[in-house]
Amino acid sequence: MLKLPLRWIAAAVLLANGFFPALWILLTSFKRDAELAQTPITWWPQHPTLGNYVHAFSDQPLLLFLGNSFAVALLSTLLTLFAATGAAYALTRLRLRRRGLILTVLVAIAMFPPATLLVPLFEIMRGLGLINTYGALVLPYAVQSLPVCTLVLASFFQQVPKDIENAAMLDGCTRLQALYRIVLPLSAPGVFTAGILAFVNAWDEFLLALALNAAPGSRTLPVGILLYQGEFTFPWPVISAALVVAIVPLAILIILFQERVISGLTTGGIKG
Amino acid sequence: MSLRAFFNQRQNSQGNSASDVSESSLAFWQLLPAALLLALIVVYPVAKVIHDSLYSISLFSESGPVFVGVANYVDALRDPDVWRAVRFTIALCVVTVPGALLVGLGLALLANREWKWRWPVRLALLLPWALPLAFSGMIFAWFFNTEYGVVNDLLRRAGIAPVSFLLIPQWGFLAICVATIWKTSSFVALILLAGLQTIPRSLYEAAAMEGASRWQSFRHVTLPLLMPAMMVALIFRTISALQSFDIPYAMTQGGPARYTETLSILINTTAIEYMDVGYGSALAVLLFLLSMAVSSVYLRKLYKGAL
Amino acid sequence: MSLPRALRLITLILLVAIAVPAQAETVLRVFIGGAAQRPDLFRTLADRYEASHPGIRIEIGSGAATSELQRKYLSVLLNAHDPSFDALMLDIVNPYQFATAGWIAPLDEYFGEEKQTLLADGLPIYRRTNLIKGRLYTLPAVTDAMFMYYRKDLLAQYGIAPPQTWQELENAAQAILKQENNPALQGLSIQGAPIEGTVCSFLLPYWSQGKDILDSNGKLALDKPAALRSLRLWQGLIDKNVIRRHVAEVKTGDTVNTFKAGNAIFAINWGFAWGVFQNDADSRVKGRVGIIRMPAVQGGEHATCLGGWQWALSNYSRNKAQMADFLRFLASPESVRFITLQGALLPPYLSLYDDAEVQAVIPWLKDAKPALLGAKPRPLTARYAQVSDVLRISTSAVLAGSLTAEEGLEDISRRLERILR
Repeated sequence: MLKLPLRWIAAAVLLANGFFPALWILLTSFKRDAELAQTPITWWPQHPTLGNYVHAFSDQPLLLFLGNSFAVALLSTLLTLFAATGAAYALTRLRLRRRGLILTVLVAIAMFPPATLLVPLFEIMRGLGLINTYGALVLPYAVQSLPVCTLVLASFFQQVPKDIENAAMLDGCTRLQALYRIVLPLSAPGVFTAGILAFVNAWDEFLLALALNAAPGSRTLPVGILLYQGEFTFPWPVISAALVVAIVPLAILIILFQERVISGLTTGGIKG
Repeated sequence: MSLRAFFNQRQNSQGNSASDVSESSLAFWQLLPAALLLALIVVYPVAKVIHDSLYSISLFSESGPVFVGVANYVDALRDPDVWRAVRFTIALCVVTVPGALLVGLGLALLANREWKWRWPVRLALLLPWALPLAFSGMIFAWFFNTEYGVVNDLLRRAGIAPVSFLLIPQWGFLAICVATIWKTSSFVALILLAGLQTIPRSLYEAAAMEGASRWQSFRHVTLPLLMPAMMVALIFRTISALQSFDIPYAMTQGGPARYTETLSILINTTAIEYMDVGYGSALAVLLFLLSMAVSSVYLRKLYKGAL
Repeated sequence: MSLPRALRLITLILLVAIAVPAQAETVLRVFIGGAAQRPDLFRTLADRYEASHPGIRIEIGSGAATSELQRKYLSVLLNAHDPSFDALMLDIVNPYQFATAGWIAPLDEYFGEEKQTLLADGLPIYRRTNLIKGRLYTLPAVTDAMFMYYRKDLLAQYGIAPPQTWQELENAAQAILKQENNPALQGLSIQGAPIEGTVCSFLLPYWSQGKDILDSNGKLALDKPAALRSLRLWQGLIDKNVIRRHVAEVKTGDTVNTFKAGNAIFAINWGFAWGVFQNDADSRVKGRVGIIRMPAVQGGEHATCLGGWQWALSNYSRNKAQMADFLRFLASPESVRFITLQGALLPPYLSLYDDAEVQAVIPWLKDAKPALLGAKPRPLTARYAQVSDVLRISTSAVLAGSLTAEEGLEDISRRLERILR
């Protein structure tokens, strides 16, 4: 066991690394413009103000961005969970030729650089009339999360004893019913973990959101906040306030579900 | 259940041929949604990119698409801007992948201790992971601001003249590396933490019994058992480092003088901003090949069961 | 609730949502990028138009504040054939590209005879910038150009005449800097950050040597020695500390603020800055602002950079005819006169230069006119976005010292050849 001072240093390093940037943004969000233009800079706000938060919501439709991000993340999570459930079930429970090939394809997709697909995706979405709608982002985000979600779900399905499923089918369930009534509920933690991974992936995405949904009404948070920039100066206090607003829901989400995220990453097929 | 086990799984369920048919048709329907999504979002676009890369297509040219064969590729290989972007992207990988692994390992070892309160420690690992890359880039751009950045404030306090980090190529590279390592090391730490937690305590006790020092037990117990997790982290990090876009874009937009332009930024600028679709598609295929070269190493390891 | 009932309800709600506004009024959406383009003044005009046109509502939307951000943003939007905006206020450098891509609609069919009247009264240069392949694509909103601002009081104090050449400017700045001995005072402030204004910084001394980037057929005609001299001119002024080393970070607004605070002897900026220097409450140079045409290289022309903003009709507008009518109102001499008087912005119509009231608001109008008549447009090409990026990024890098002038020129020349071949 470490000696006490060393322990404290370890804790300080961990916490500073994790929290300092967010804390700095939080402090900045309470500073006034004039204070920010001072050198040497101040660390603690001298005259704390909530004005930046008012501006963050009034200069740009921040609530709308928040709603867009939330809707896109949620819809893509649901879509990816639906597709991944089927794929994971087929991979783990059904007779399947070329199981290896299917997995390879899945993993290869996880590695596909999104930048390379920008133009065709743009054309597809334009063709489908989806540009500047949730659909333009929901579909690609669902695909981006599909491999990892499939692997997470598959590893949980694997742990459900086959006997339970067989017993259910003897009772007259079809395979599909067995999946949705027995296997899936028993794998609830896995579904949950996969869902969080997919949600965070979608919440974070920037490149496609910038290219496909740049119209004022359909921007997600990362794009919306990056476009707060003004001509003369970078309005940092207001941007900081907007960032705080954007970070808080995610922080709450991971505080609530941290146990699941960690266990999900441990089992999510990522582990060797 | 590990990936290797998936690959090595034997088909051991025995059934009559009727259930075989129903099973494979069910498998088909179960795989269909995923397959449709992949076809629409990946397969067709890849085909389209390869097709477009053989044409000269620009929204701003007076003529329509013209077949040019491999001319776009020849152009790309001759274009110093492309090579500079390739070099910068690879340099970013070479620095940030080992950097994130080292920092991540350190964080994981710290987080793996017995903590009275576990949630602040875990949140400290999870927050950077969950923070969008673009936000991380913006925040670090602010940290490295010449006048008002916290880094230069610390330098000033130490009596060192402030540096215009984002305006000088070498410093810009450094700043982007720092931001990338900060952001990505938490993901590495999470994977390694998971790996650490599978190492049985008894092994350390046995090592201690044989009089191993703390370093020796780290060297001979922790590291070898952590290797599989390290490999996974290494591969995932390498792939995403090759695709770097958000952090450099938010910090420098590829500047100064395009020194910090990654391949993804170059593709985005060429194909989306300039709408030089043919040339942009050729660049996309090059990045695609580079990525696949690295992925294939991963996939080969998977097949060999090296993980 | 059963599914069919839910569907019926949703259909009903959608129908109501679509039908009600359509019956009530037509909404026309106009894009006016940033605060510097004075959406507040245009809002007043929109209110007037709404008052006389019942059933029409006008919304002004903004996106990104700088010219280059606006170009990126509008490109993405229009390439998606997005109907969000019916009309766009464009930087004068953009219409050629937007028209070639088919993003903006020609106005000829909405402006029969008026087309000739508008063009006859407009600055002559508009015949080149607003007529694209013979068709009228844009209408002027405000015009502008780059001018040389100077501190009248300082030059008078040291008995120095306003400089006509860059050499004279260098001598004047050095003499005043030496005698003032004020560490906050800069000799000359120009834009050197990789922004649109820096394209002009590169072009000013280049044009002054009688050269242009494109020939009359739109082919690349870069004169390398002239380009090198242009980059070297700025480098020389930096080496002699007439321009500060941090110039590669300086944007339009930084120059405005520096001069306004009394911290620059000379400053290159757009005409709109004059109103800022004279009228802003915190200006320390009120009544001490002189303005002259751009200095020339030894024996060269006094060339300056044409700026200003244009109205264009989105090709994806669903209300083109109504929007064209509102644009007619916006571009009418009365509306332009209102903007000119309220914003002290330079008018795009020649007739307004003889208007006594306008002259009272913009006292330097008679000096501005010859400069505007000689102002040059930045390269008129469908690939202007790329040309602009090349010029501003390389110029900024040379000013920052991260490239030598030769390396910067090599980058410019190589990239332009690829883009414009």
